[in-house]
Amino acid sequence: MKVSQRILIVDDEELIRLLCEKELRQDGYEVDTACNGAEAVEKASQGDFGVIVLDIEMPDISGLEVLHKLRTAVPETPIILHSAYTTYKSDFQSWLADEYIVKSSDIAALKQKIEQLLEPR
Amino acid sequence: MKTFEPPPGEVVELCQATVWEGLDLMGIGLFRLNDEGCLIQINNAARGILGIDDTQGCEKLHISKVDHILGSGLADQLDSILHDSTAFVRRNLRCTNSHGRFMVLNLCCIPISSTKPEDREVLGIVEDCINGHRDAASEINVRRQLSILSEVAAALSSSSELPQILKIILTGATASQGLCFNRAFLFLYDEQKNRLRGHMAVGPSSPDEAGDIWRQLDSMRMTLGELLDTHQGKADNKSDAVTSLITGLSIDLNEESVIRSTCQRGSWINLGNVPQIDPVTTTFIERLKTSRIALVPMVSKGSLRGLLAADNYITGQPISDDAVRLLQILANQAAVAMERAKLYDNERERAQQLQRTNALLAESQDQIIRIEKMSVIGELTSAVAHELRNPLTIIGGFANLLLKSPLSDEHREYLNIISSEIKRTESVLNHVLDFSLASRNENQLIDFSQLSERSLQLLLGRRQQTDISISLSLAHEKLMVYGNCDQLSHAIYQFLKLIAEDVIPPGTAEVRTEREKAQACLWVRVSCPDSTRDKTIKTLRQTLTSNKTSQRLTVLVAAETIKLHGGEYGVALGNDGLPSLYVKLPLTTEDEGEPTHLDR
Repeated sequence: MKVSQRILIVDDEELIRLLCEKELRQDGYEVDTACNGAEAVEKASQGDFGVIVLDIEMPDISGLEVLHKLRTAVPETPIILHSAYTTYKSDFQSWLADEYIVKSSDIAALKQKIEQLLEPR
Repeated sequence: MKTFEPPPGEVVELCQATVWEGLDLMGIGLFRLNDEGCLIQINNAARGILGIDDTQGCEKLHISKVDHILGSGLADQLDSILHDSTAFVRRNLRCTNSHGRFMVLNLCCIPISSTKPEDREVLGIVEDCINGHRDAASEINVRRQLSILSEVAAALSSSSELPQILKIILTGATASQGLCFNRAFLFLYDEQKNRLRGHMAVGPSSPDEAGDIWRQLDSMRMTLGELLDTHQGKADNKSDAVTSLITGLSIDLNEESVIRSTCQRGSWINLGNVPQIDPVTTTFIERLKTSRIALVPMVSKGSLRGLLAADNYITGQPISDDAVRLLQILANQAAVAMERAKLYDNERERAQQLQRTNALLAESQDQIIRIEKMSVIGELTSAVAHELRNPLTIIGGFANLLLKSPLSDEHREYLNIISSEIKRTESVLNHVLDFSLASRNENQLIDFSQLSERSLQLLLGRRQQTDISISLSLAHEKLMVYGNCDQLSHAIYQFLKLIAEDVIPPGTAEVRTEREKAQACLWVRVSCPDSTRDKTIKTLRQTLTSNKTSQRLTVLVAAETIKLHGGEYGVALGNDGLPSLYVKLPLTTEDEGEPTHLDR
């Protein structure tokens, strides 16, 4: 089955969104962004995304809460938690995600995981 | 009122008769002497006082015959009284009359005129005031006894030590300013075995020694209070011989005896007055070499504390019941003082125990505060580190993005530098975040040797180089420390890593754990050739105070971890000159679930 190559980047930090967008577009992906949890859930519900990259520390609602909503809204879409914090790894709520990547200047690890999740199933 | 006027001669007769009878009734003697000194009239009281028999006619009895025995000097002064009209007065004349009656006389003789003016007479008034003197003497005695009791009570109240109390009571019993017994023996009651055990004695062991001691004490002219103060703390060597009489002597109060019944009654007994003595008491008497001894139980609040025995072995003077009664009062005072001393000892022990516990609590509290600080630092560090990660990701990410675009060599070089430095900074951040993560764990008792072993295994597992040989030797005994397991593990790991990566040339390192007094110690002894020894020592020291940012932070974190756990670290030179890195942490013992430090 062909998987959508659209990626949704959810992060309150504009430059992080910009960086990820540019890096992933260079690799040929379609990229959309959301700056908060509400926008993320709306866009995810309306659009057809192959994977969602979700930050955790966000001002309005926590990424873990958004994760829960997304799981209800789009249960089939893989979600990668992308955070500066390592501590949420041990939080069981984060286990709803398909992967947990710690933010780094080298986003190769993130790209690799996205590629894996977007492989045809 | 009608005045009674008897006929002239009758008045004198009536008055005289009244006075003579009245004075007789009061025990006051009255007598008349003629101008020759012969008794012409005497009342019954005077007869008794002067020792004149009732049957003996007093007429023609010259006063000198009476005064010869009394010794008042009246006979010699008779002419003076009669012719010079002077009165003769004697007060408190101690004398004995012809009947052997001891008296204290007040005597007054005055000249009087008889019915014939040319005949002069002497009227004598005599009174025996011995009863008054006896009362005075009794009063003096009571005052003396009260004074003794007061001095002893004052001395006892100023002392809370048992040996001092016992010395006071024995001194009070034997001092000449006190109760004047020759010897006094003290037995203490063993409640568990219901026995009296000989403890202490005071007094001379022989007449010669007694003479020396008493002369010396007399020459010092001290009051009882001064004597008690002087003798309180002094060990009296001269009493050792007397003490040895009762050393080891144990009286079994389970056996029926006079001593036992005395103790049970709680009141004194004068053994000299007891007709029949039981075997237990006989043994006691034989040991002390006298049967004339007073026994006084020392009782406080109905409980027996001991027995006081006193005698006049040296002088042989009989022991009066009064003296023993007074000794009983002193003994009771001593019993109260002994109880007070025991309570004082108990309270002092409790206070010392509380002090020790307080000190331990304070130490534990300090350690807990230090370790909690570590947790707070960890939390802060985590927050800061995470806040730094986003900017670093952005800077490094865009630098990497730029590197993918066409660039001049120079620009590429600059961007590479930016990218690599960002990576280095992210690495430092990871170290710091590891530490902060460790802070979230609770503090606990940790086996220091196991901790060191795990840290070393972690290091060896991560290292790819095999150019060094590291041996491990663990302490035989368990070395328990208290703290955050992950933090300490991280710190020890960092120290081992520094040694392995920066100091040791291809060579060996010996890692061992051991106990040094109250500390658990980790030693990393570096073996290196003589030629590189100085360099190794220098490098080792520099490593611990490194200026390289990454190393400084890791060393700083590791060092602070050790310090905040109450430990220390550093470099030492062994006897063989080889350098060693050491890490030391205070040992902890588990006591009722709460960790406490061992005494250093």
